[in-house]
Amino acid sequence: MFNKTLMAATIGALMAGTAALPAAAQDDDINTLRMAYDADPVSLDIHEQLSGGILQLSHMTFDPLVRWTQDLEFEPRLASDWEQVDDTTLRMTLREGVSFHSGNTLTAEDVVWTVDRLKRSSDFKAIFEPIDKVTAVDEQTVEFQTEKPYPLLLNLATYIFPMDSEFYTGTDDDGDPKDEIVKNGNSYASKHLSGTGPFTVTEHQPGNRMEFERNPNYWDDDSPGNVDRIVLTPISENATRVAALLSGDVDFIAPVPPNDLERVREDEDANLVTMSGTRIILFHMNQERVEAFQDPKVRKAFTYAINQEGIADRLMKGFATPAAQFSPEGYAGHVPDLEIRHDMEKAQELMAEAGYEDGFEITMMAPNNRYVNDAKIAQAVSAMLARINVDVDLKTLPKAQYWGEYDDRAADMMMIGWHSDTEDSANFHQYLTECPDTETGGGQYNAGNYCNPELDELVREANLEIDQEKRAEMLQEVEQTLYDEAAFVPLHWQDLAWASASHIEIEPILNVMNFPYLGDLVINDE
Amino acid sequence: MNPTSAPAGRWTRFRDSYLLYSFKRDVIAQLSLVAFILLLGVAVLAPWLSPTDPYDLTTIDIMASELPPFWIAGSDEAYVLGTDAQGRDLLSTILYGARVSLIIGFGAVALQATLGVCFGLLAGYLGGRVDAFLMRLADIQLSFSTLMVAIVVGALVKAIFGGDTFGAYAVPLLVVIIGLAEWPQYARTVRASVLAEKAKEYVDAARVMGLSSRRIMFRHILPNTLSPIFVISTVQVANAIISEAALSFLGLGMPETQPSLGSLIKSGFDYLQSGSWWITLIPGAVLVMLVLVINLLGDWLRDVLNPRLYKG
Repeated sequence: MFNKTLMAATIGALMAGTAALPAAAQDDDINTLRMAYDADPVSLDIHEQLSGGILQLSHMTFDPLVRWTQDLEFEPRLASDWEQVDDTTLRMTLREGVSFHSGNTLTAEDVVWTVDRLKRSSDFKAIFEPIDKVTAVDEQTVEFQTEKPYPLLLNLATYIFPMDSEFYTGTDDDGDPKDEIVKNGNSYASKHLSGTGPFTVTEHQPGNRMEFERNPNYWDDDSPGNVDRIVLTPISENATRVAALLSGDVDFIAPVPPNDLERVREDEDANLVTMSGTRIILFHMNQERVEAFQDPKVRKAFTYAINQEGIADRLMKGFATPAAQFSPEGYAGHVPDLEIRHDMEKAQELMAEAGYEDGFEITMMAPNNRYVNDAKIAQAVSAMLARINVDVDLKTLPKAQYWGEYDDRAADMMMIGWHSDTEDSANFHQYLTECPDTETGGGQYNAGNYCNPELDELVREANLEIDQEKRAEMLQEVEQTLYDEAAFVPLHWQDLAWASASHIEIEPILNVMNFPYLGDLVINDE
Repeated sequence: MNPTSAPAGRWTRFRDSYLLYSFKRDVIAQLSLVAFILLLGVAVLAPWLSPTDPYDLTTIDIMASELPPFWIAGSDEAYVLGTDAQGRDLLSTILYGARVSLIIGFGAVALQATLGVCFGLLAGYLGGRVDAFLMRLADIQLSFSTLMVAIVVGALVKAIFGGDTFGAYAVPLLVVIIGLAEWPQYARTVRASVLAEKAKEYVDAARVMGLSSRRIMFRHILPNTLSPIFVISTVQVANAIISEAALSFLGLGMPETQPSLGSLIKSGFDYLQSGSWWITLIPGAVLVMLVLVINLLGDWLRDVLNPRLYKG
């Protein structure tokens, strides 16, 4: 009797188990994209940091006014139409019927509010400096006014992701304003998010896991995207990330490390996409921390001592182009004649001339999960500097900590990679070599404290120059001067690589800015 | 035991001992000892044997990175076992790495043994409050895993004094960190032996003669507890070497500029499945061999010194 009841109970339990199965199967019907990046975004506040990770998040959870297509043309997003009213005024018409995740409707006021906030953000203010005034003409129309004619206004609009002004207004539980921008700290905006974008954030465990769900009220009905859910896991180990893709644990990874490109390409179940990149990787030499760096000879010696071609060839497996300047080929400021400096004897000579033949000690910091092979590159560079008797104390950190240290200028040499925000040469100088100025935001990432006011003036003039040929000449002069004075140590332009499972069509949504438009991603049936 | 006995007498005693008798009949022990002496030899002689100095950054050439070992096409004669991703000669790095591993292994064990023996003797002989205090201390420490203690201390030192200072004193620091983390193993064993010995008549006799506690502890009891100490020591040397390798693998051990076996294994990890497997596998094999022979020797020693296991 007892046995029979037990049996019945067991069968009952088993049946309950099978009854639960269809629900699990239904779960499989929704398209989930499991992706692994080398790191997750450091914050949910899209104005806290000007970085690739944050902009990738912006494209997932917000929409820009306009965005770049793969061919670098402008594509209307939240702005459905625009016209140049006069030399200094651009009028944009907003799309109708767009709502935020919170349910609020997008209006011109939100755009005005967003640009005001951008102009307060220490990272973004420098690029938005040319915009003098933004006004809401009516519910659906905004006008951007610049003091002087500015040729890159539409480029700027790709960085305006209208935020939900109502959602971010007021004070949080601690009494702090909700729209406060706190770098590397806690703020309401760094934990809460309401945008217009294709995905909402459903879970955020920094450094561990992030979950997104498709925004059911997304305005873009023409988007082919069919991803319902995204699980983003940061995997900083290169080998582990590739193994996760090839074993089927994740469906989409970026970046693909150069030494695994062949393996991924040859795998039948994987889909590899590569593009030659425009992101410059470089080292800053801090002139305020190290007196020797004030001597252009020492700076030049450093650029001569470092074997850019060796790094690009061996560490990057040819998956990078060695650089001698900021601007990659095709940019207005690119100077084709600038040759890569690598000559150890010359480097030693220059050090001797400057009176430092016995070298000196410096500290160096680099991230270890931000750029392709970043920590390995830093190690190689410190080995190269040993030949000119420079003793390097190298520290590599995950990017979540690295940017805090970077803002403090915590080491004598610091690594940074920069992709021009406006797809234009001037942006490099404004952020990386302009005299640091917290007021204008100029030189916000200039950890070398290089300062040449003449160049700043030249770039400012170039930004107002409508004649493209003249403008290019000015920008090239800037590159030439930076090269002559060895303002920084250029390393290479890093190429881009993404890989996915073969049933996921990543190619159409990728671009040279490395902002995958995941909202438009199509997952085919396996 | 008598300090005045002649060397010849000692030799005879050794020749007739069970230790040698069993060694002569144990092939594994013989092979292990040969391998161990070989490894110890090359490690000690590393500065003279190795083709280059892997700690001298000026000898590293990025253009010579990831060269394969000699039996694979594309290798370079100058680098017998190939090079790592930064262009370091693998053979030299392994020799130096083995040296670091052994220094840390023996150094840490010497420290553990000193601390553990002293605390064990005190706790066992004095008993009472001293015993309770020392053993609770050991209990507390045993409840943390060695590696965790080592990671916390290592990270703290690195954060407080900076990477460069840490790099300069990495070897002594690791000795102290690993040494401090494992003393309870010794203390508990010694204490147990002391408790057994304390009840014996020779100790009572010594006490009746009015000898000091210190003399009784170190000259009378300690020599009788040496066998278990020897056995633990072999196991602990192997453990310490593994701990160092694990710490280095996690990036908290030897700095990148002075690679030990552990950090070398880590630096090659990215390349394991993409061609350059030798950067990880060759030092990995050396590490396994080193730890294995020490463990085998320890096993043999345990069998010999354990009176219950006389197989005679």
